Amino acid sequence: MNPRQGPWISAGFMRLIVIFVLLAIWEIGARLYADPLFLCPPSQAVAALPHIFGDPKVVNAIGVTIYELVTAFAISVVVGLAVGLAVGLHGFTKQAIMPVILMLYATPQAVILPLFVLSFGIGPEAKIAFGVSHGIFPVIVTTVAGVQNLRPHLLRAAHSMGASRWQVFTAIVFPHMIPSFFTGMRLGMTGVLLGVLLAELYVSTAGIGFYTRLFAESFSPPDLFALIAVLAAIAVTLNELCRMAERHFSRWNIG
Amino acid sequence: MNRGDAVIKVEGVSQAFGVEGDPRRVVALESATLDIARGELLSLIGPSGCGKSTLLNIIGGLATPSTGRVTIEGQPVRGPSPQKVAYVFQENTLFPWRTVIDNVKLGMAFQGVAKAERDDRARQSLEAVGLVDFSDHYPAQLSGGMKQRVQLARALGLQTEILLMDEPFAALDEQTRMVLGEDLSVLLARTGKTIIFVTHSLVEAVFLADRVAVLTARPGKIKKIIHIDEPHPRKSAFMTSPKLSALRNELYELLHDEIRKTLIQPTEAGAGA
Amino acid sequence: MRPKLQFGQRLIQLGVLIAILVAWWYFTLPGGINRLLLPPPAPVFSDFWVLLTTRSIWPDLLVTVHEWVVAVAIATVAGCTLGYLVSRSAYTVRVFDPLLAGLYSIPAILLFPLFLLFFGLGTGSKIAIGTTIAFFPVVLNTVAGLANVDKAYIRAAQSMGANDLQLFWSVMLPAAFPVVLTGLRLGCIIAFLAILGGETISSLAGLGHRIVSLAENMESSRMFANIIFAVLMAFVINGIVSFAEARGRRGFQ
Repeated sequence: MNPRQGPWISAGFMRLIVIFVLLAIWEIGARLYADPLFLCPPSQAVAALPHIFGDPKVVNAIGVTIYELVTAFAISVVVGLAVGLAVGLHGFTKQAIMPVILMLYATPQAVILPLFVLSFGIGPEAKIAFGVSHGIFPVIVTTVAGVQNLRPHLLRAAHSMGASRWQVFTAIVFPHMIPSFFTGMRLGMTGVLLGVLLAELYVSTAGIGFYTRLFAESFSPPDLFALIAVLAAIAVTLNELCRMAERHFSRWNIG
Repeated sequence: MNRGDAVIKVEGVSQAFGVEGDPRRVVALESATLDIARGELLSLIGPSGCGKSTLLNIIGGLATPSTGRVTIEGQPVRGPSPQKVAYVFQENTLFPWRTVIDNVKLGMAFQGVAKAERDDRARQSLEAVGLVDFSDHYPAQLSGGMKQRVQLARALGLQTEILLMDEPFAALDEQTRMVLGEDLSVLLARTGKTIIFVTHSLVEAVFLADRVAVLTARPGKIKKIIHIDEPHPRKSAFMTSPKLSALRNELYELLHDEIRKTLIQPTEAGAGA
Repeated sequence: MRPKLQFGQRLIQLGVLIAILVAWWYFTLPGGINRLLLPPPAPVFSDFWVLLTTRSIWPDLLVTVHEWVVAVAIATVAGCTLGYLVSRSAYTVRVFDPLLAGLYSIPAILLFPLFLLFFGLGTGSKIAIGTTIAFFPVVLNTVAGLANVDKAYIRAAQSMGANDLQLFWSVMLPAAFPVVLTGLRLGCIIAFLAILGGETISSLAGLGHRIVSLAENMESSRMFANIIFAVLMAFVINGIVSFAEARGRRGFQ
């Protein structure tokens, strides 16, 4: 195999071709074979978008979801950072509490979702809480890991030069932590997305859960596809923003 | 088939990477021509990047030359010829998921050798390198020197006419190299194979080889071929003899300037030595 | 790690556990937290005991496990096959790998309403979501494993005269196996979580369904007992799958 032989279509362009071909297969297949009660071609889903956006209640539901995502994310990051620092900076607490945190991180939270709704009701609070419950653990864990990477001699050197605790924090701890913190943020966003969306879909009496149930039960695939596509686009955008932030700040990676 | 007939003919072989006229073009090897006699032990030596491993790969059919050709027993080389050529690599290529003896048997399995015969040959080869007691161990349990010996056993098990070795002892420490070198000389004298090996070590080249081909710095050309007139198997007395020292010094003089040249050459990833 | 420190930490962990239990008991004493929200430990443990000793949970447990096994099986076959096909050339890897990774970044739970529409409320929709979500780590790891086989092994096998088929069976597969196994483990675990999630959102049977029904009927202590059971189930599956991966990897490192 001659390594110099480059393909005559770039990989990126080929990818677009593949996506196009898959969409074409979906379109043609759905038109010819699909029962319109269950499946629709992508063109109909796209055509349903104005219908979705035209209904103010649907738009409101989407808006509320975005609000829940952003709020849950903010809380996860702030509280997660605080807890992560508190636990990670003190070796003894870290060794003792981390296993508990890791155990909580590993539990299948879907099964306590009904509990959240019972406690918080069917409004945004439950979804934000469930989102935080998913998003906070990666932030804590990566913050602790980031702090752990600090080599103790750096701290000692700073102390020997008479740095106050605050100065040590800002000059040494903080910059070391930033890269893993942003990784934690990205993972936290993934968790928040999972938590909030899971909670929203569960509560089928209001919010987007109501509309997904409505469109499914009334067998209108175009509306359902359109709504899901919008939510997916929001999710991908938020994920991508976090990933870009992470890439940018990983350049800070100090040894 | 006389001992002494040229079994491998290298004719005007060149290897270049990149497009002509491109300043980034690398000529690894230039117009290498040499004949290798049956039963001969030839060493290729030269500074880093001089194309010695490239030449070995071309002879073994693992690389295609840009110009020129190689023939083995009159047949042009077009790809790996496992019936005729066995290879011992510098890095570890023993498969970690197979035991030592299964590793030795693998090449034979590819060739379609019968099961019972595979077993016999594998045991013989491992005995020849002194590792038959480790047949059922895994490579991870062996030291670097032992792994190289197993690779050698694997190559021997294929019972080929020709053996190519690419810096087989490079990853080992000097003391292990000395001992393995002596064992190798005894072993190879017994088998009567035609052997080409690449090495960085001047002493190793003189101690083991019948002829040493010295290559220049990149683009690698064959600068000179030195004859070493000493019967096989080489005794350890040879190692400390003035004859060896003189030959080694001759090699040093030939190589010294070439090595200096490589220190100012940029390194190229992709154009292997 | 000095043993003394470890003992102290274990003590703390035990202490935390006991503190949680004591707090639980204390706050659910009469006049404390609403018993519907947080039942006291005693009825929860007795209900849990009932769960373990009777067969009442078996039908639902079987449904969930069945959904999980089928989802993992389909995801494994599809993922390994597609992973193999994609890994065949560096070009196909460059084309498809980012595509697959990109799809993986969409929260799969969003597809669940579509599966409900298509497969209905029964096991089909849960199997579908489990398969979909488990597919990605399997295919991505298969591609990574096969495409990143150490070139030295391939060269060695070729020099010994291996043809393409022999190369695949004797070199590529065993070399890729540990990585593929990790992908399978991840797939198994997230499939189970996704299935529980699906059952919680909408289902007719299964562990998740039980918990939701009990919640709707305000039977808090039984619900808590079932939640504890489901969590333990997840840990057991996690343990089994991790153990299998470690055993599988042992012969191939």
